[in-house]
Amino acid sequence: MRVGALVVAVLAASFGVSGSAPASVEARDLVRPHAFADFPLYDAGDQVDGLPLTAVLRRDGTAEFVSFVYGDCAARDDEGCAPPVEVQVWPACRRNLDLYASGRPGTPVPERTTARGVPAAFLDDGTRLELQTGRSTVVVFADSRARVLRVVSALRPVGERALSGPLPPPAPGAVQGTLPC
Amino acid sequence: MVGFKQASVGRVLLAAGAVAALAAIGARPAAAHFDSTSKYTYSSCPGTQQNRVDPINVVFTVWGTWGRAVSQTGTHAGWTNTSGTTEYFVDHGSCYPMHAQVASGTFSRFHIRVRGQHPDDVLGWTATGDAHHEDFVVFPVLCGHAVDSNGPSGSGFDQGRDELEDRFASAGHRTYRVWWGNTQSFKQCDGDYAGSDGWTAFIELHQLNH
Repeated sequence: MRVGALVVAVLAASFGVSGSAPASVEARDLVRPHAFADFPLYDAGDQVDGLPLTAVLRRDGTAEFVSFVYGDCAARDDEGCAPPVEVQVWPACRRNLDLYASGRPGTPVPERTTARGVPAAFLDDGTRLELQTGRSTVVVFADSRARVLRVVSALRPVGERALSGPLPPPAPGAVQGTLPC
Repeated sequence: MVGFKQASVGRVLLAAGAVAALAAIGARPAAAHFDSTSKYTYSSCPGTQQNRVDPINVVFTVWGTWGRAVSQTGTHAGWTNTSGTTEYFVDHGSCYPMHAQVASGTFSRFHIRVRGQHPDDVLGWTATGDAHHEDFVVFPVLCGHAVDSNGPSGSGFDQGRDELEDRFASAGHRTYRVWWGNTQSFKQCDGDYAGSDGWTAFIELHQLNH
């Protein structure tokens, strides 16, 4: 039997049932700034756009990020499902907008923009936005461009009150992919 | 007169056919390109964020027709079992059912669904796939196939891509990776989450290899 590999995972909702229960306070404490210093974390609060925070995931290995999952979905045999909203926070040294500048055929072409005053790009027909702030890259997945933007407007440092203004600018070299890990 | 008219009509038709053929030849390169806009498979059409199922993490190129992709996956990786659910792919904004699927077994297994995509001036014939490793989960809930959750050696999606990439590379095929960033997490039927690490393997199926 396989072992769940999520270092931090909170599945507050029952299997296969749309959940409304928020992630536990204990799990969120594990990624609060005093306990997590690898890179600055941002989330969209305990709920966003009517969706509760249902899981906090930590991935460290071939990919490195902390993920905040909002809302739930019903997976089936042989068919996973995409939660309505997900906010992934990566260290900018592992994920940055420069990765799309490889020039290799088949590389996605991002739609460059600015969000919350920092460099950003839409991908996947607007259902994904990546923005760079400080030493972090924040990736928002949602079902529409409008919802992505509503989530972006709710981004704030984990454990802090909502911010309405611009996010901190990216650290030198963060966008260019030259920031050391 | 009748003969003349028939001959004239014939010449006109021939000329029109030639113009149409030239136009088609001239137009094809401009329209033919690999479309990486959609980076997921879907449970139904139309393909939307709500019905995404798996990240696409393998692209077969250079004579990468879907038939050759499936055939050579069987040859090099031994994935020949054809069981599994139908999923859908989006190409140039339109949604289509997959062309084929092959797996390494029936229960816990490697598995890929494949669909041929538009040919490309640089990449040649192309096909895309969602390689993954999935367990057959019976506990704590009997739910069937679930892609392995994220772990230090990657998720089941990463493991499936790596396995296929290694098998083809060992057989002499050129492979390389392109950053797609399609790292969205997918909840599995056992409640765990799995996602791609964002790197897509491009595997060339050049005729020189076979």
